[in-house]
Amino acid sequence: MKFNMRRRSRIRGAAMWLLLLELRTPLITLIVTYSISVLGLILIPGATHEGAAYHLSFLDAFYLVSYTATTIGFGETPYPFTPSQKLWMLFVMYSTVIAWLYAIGSVLAVLSDPAFRRLRSYQRSVSRIHGVKDPYWIVCGYGGAGSQLIRFLDQSGSRCVMIEANAARADAARLSDLSYELTILVGDVAEPQTLVDAGVQRALCRGVLALTDHDQVNLTVATNTRILAPRVAVYARSATDANTRNLRSFDTEVVVDPFRVAARSVTQLIRRPNAYALYHELVDPDLNQIEVVEVPVAGHWILCATGRMAETMVEAFVREQIPFYLVSSRSPGIQGDWPWIEGVGTEAQTLREARISEAVGIVAGTDDDGDNLSILLTAQSENPTLITVARRNKPTSEPVFGQGHFDCVLREGRIIAQEMYARLTTPLLHQFLGQLETMPEALVDGIIEKLNARLAGDRPELAHFDLTLDGNEAPGVIPFLHTVMTPKLGDLLVDPGLDHPGMPLICLLLIRLNGDQVPFPGDGLPLEEGDRLLLWGAMGAHHRLHFLVRRVDLFETVLSVRHQNTA
Amino acid sequence: MNTQRVWFAFFIVLALTLNFGFFVGEIDNPLHHNPYELFFALIVSLIATVLKIGDRSHLGAVLLATSLVADLQLIVAAVMWGYAAQVTGEVSVSVMASIVSLAGGAMLANITSVILLIAETIQLKR
Repeated sequence: MKFNMRRRSRIRGAAMWLLLLELRTPLITLIVTYSISVLGLILIPGATHEGAAYHLSFLDAFYLVSYTATTIGFGETPYPFTPSQKLWMLFVMYSTVIAWLYAIGSVLAVLSDPAFRRLRSYQRSVSRIHGVKDPYWIVCGYGGAGSQLIRFLDQSGSRCVMIEANAARADAARLSDLSYELTILVGDVAEPQTLVDAGVQRALCRGVLALTDHDQVNLTVATNTRILAPRVAVYARSATDANTRNLRSFDTEVVVDPFRVAARSVTQLIRRPNAYALYHELVDPDLNQIEVVEVPVAGHWILCATGRMAETMVEAFVREQIPFYLVSSRSPGIQGDWPWIEGVGTEAQTLREARISEAVGIVAGTDDDGDNLSILLTAQSENPTLITVARRNKPTSEPVFGQGHFDCVLREGRIIAQEMYARLTTPLLHQFLGQLETMPEALVDGIIEKLNARLAGDRPELAHFDLTLDGNEAPGVIPFLHTVMTPKLGDLLVDPGLDHPGMPLICLLLIRLNGDQVPFPGDGLPLEEGDRLLLWGAMGAHHRLHFLVRRVDLFETVLSVRHQNTA
Repeated sequence: MNTQRVWFAFFIVLALTLNFGFFVGEIDNPLHHNPYELFFALIVSLIATVLKIGDRSHLGAVLLATSLVADLQLIVAAVMWGYAAQVTGEVSVSVMASIVSLAGGAMLANITSVILLIAETIQLKR
């Protein structure tokens, strides 16, 4: 601990010391010129009006030098100067004024030095971080994923500290329009000291999100955090399987591989469109509607991709047994008995070879945005009914992809941000998403049907939230839990207003205090103390629910009305 | 040999010797205490202070602190003398005793400084 304190203090005072070190020579120059000037004035005899010899006192001499050096110049006191005094005064004037200019020039030179300014702003950020009183996340890298995730976290009211080595990106972060002040640390995140300065060892640090574009850097961040602050959760981006395994080997909480997530999303879109729609509504705070894309079951797909994107896509398509043609300029790394057509896919001829007229959909997944757009435009002119999936590489291409009317756009930064955000906001959602991956499509359809029934034709914005049945969050429910009233899940989903209409809410997952999970529980499930619920429905409905579970009288009325009706 | 260290030690020791030179003599006798010696003691002490800035070790911090104490005491002594001579018009015996005792205090700080310097030098391994 002592070691840490010392290292921190070294950073904190560094700028001031640098300034003082630079000021040593100017200060000594000032002291020496002043003392020589004062001494000369005392030693050189002056003359009174009567012509008697006279020596200036220390006070007079120092006063004279002071007003001369600061170019105020009150004049010759207490008697007019003799020629020898005047000679000396000439020396005093020039030497002291020059000494002052030299000193001020040195200060300005240090203050305007870019390295010094960087150090100052770094120090300011460090002291701001160490003064923060709310929990915060440390986001490493302000790329597509970092900027998106910071925005999501900001919307949910979480503070972030951002580390970015690139000054241009840090400036972009400074201009971002956030409700909370984003603390920016410009430094190399691979260095452990940067993490320490970002406050990874503080109790308020909720987790480290390693989102740089380089796997090796993310790995270094994860290992450094494990050692510097073992209790802090690490979420990392990883673009290769080897790196993912490596990260998992030391218990990195969440590893998101954008390629694997993209491949999973596309196969989910094809095989289980309802699950795809539900999944994306839940993980993306910007998407507040269930949007189911109708995908024909029969027919083949065309994959235009290279490198790792091609590998993960092919793997996922083979696993899900979706027929496809791979269009790739390079021979894919993995082998199999599926058709491969050499080419980029931007030319109609290549696409015709892949039998585009009979295809169901096309995935434009090359690592060039121009190529991807060209592929999709060519494909749409060949077969207008195609389902189009576009991969967007650069965030700057967003305007074209956003207005391109594609059925699905894979944005790497957004994919990572969604995956991580879903896992770090509420742990219940994380568990539900895990179950959703293997949930039968019919059950998912049932969930959406049930919510639609409760929404009764409305299409409000959707949101999810969690609720714990304890004395803190639901004091109105607790007193009835062990009585004959036997509160059930359905009692919570009732509007406390007149006639008790149902609220536009459904429960996706209920977890008992002992860890038992009840996915998609029915309304008749009895509630127990300590239950944690993941609820989903119209945005704003949770206010009414919170109102209900906090009021003993309201909840009692709801229960007795239900008992009367059933009796 | 490091020239910087020579100047460093030179000014620290000179600050002490000048200070001592001013201090010796009957405490209340102005004839025994030369104002120029006080002037130089103060100037050298100020220079020594500036030289000590920049060493961020623990010893450096203590050295700087002792120098600041010496500066403070000497400045107060000089101001007192100037005030007595120019404003009151007369340097009385009691004022002189105060000035010299203030300088004595500064000398203690300077002695600490020199002891620390010697201790550091002895610790130096070749």
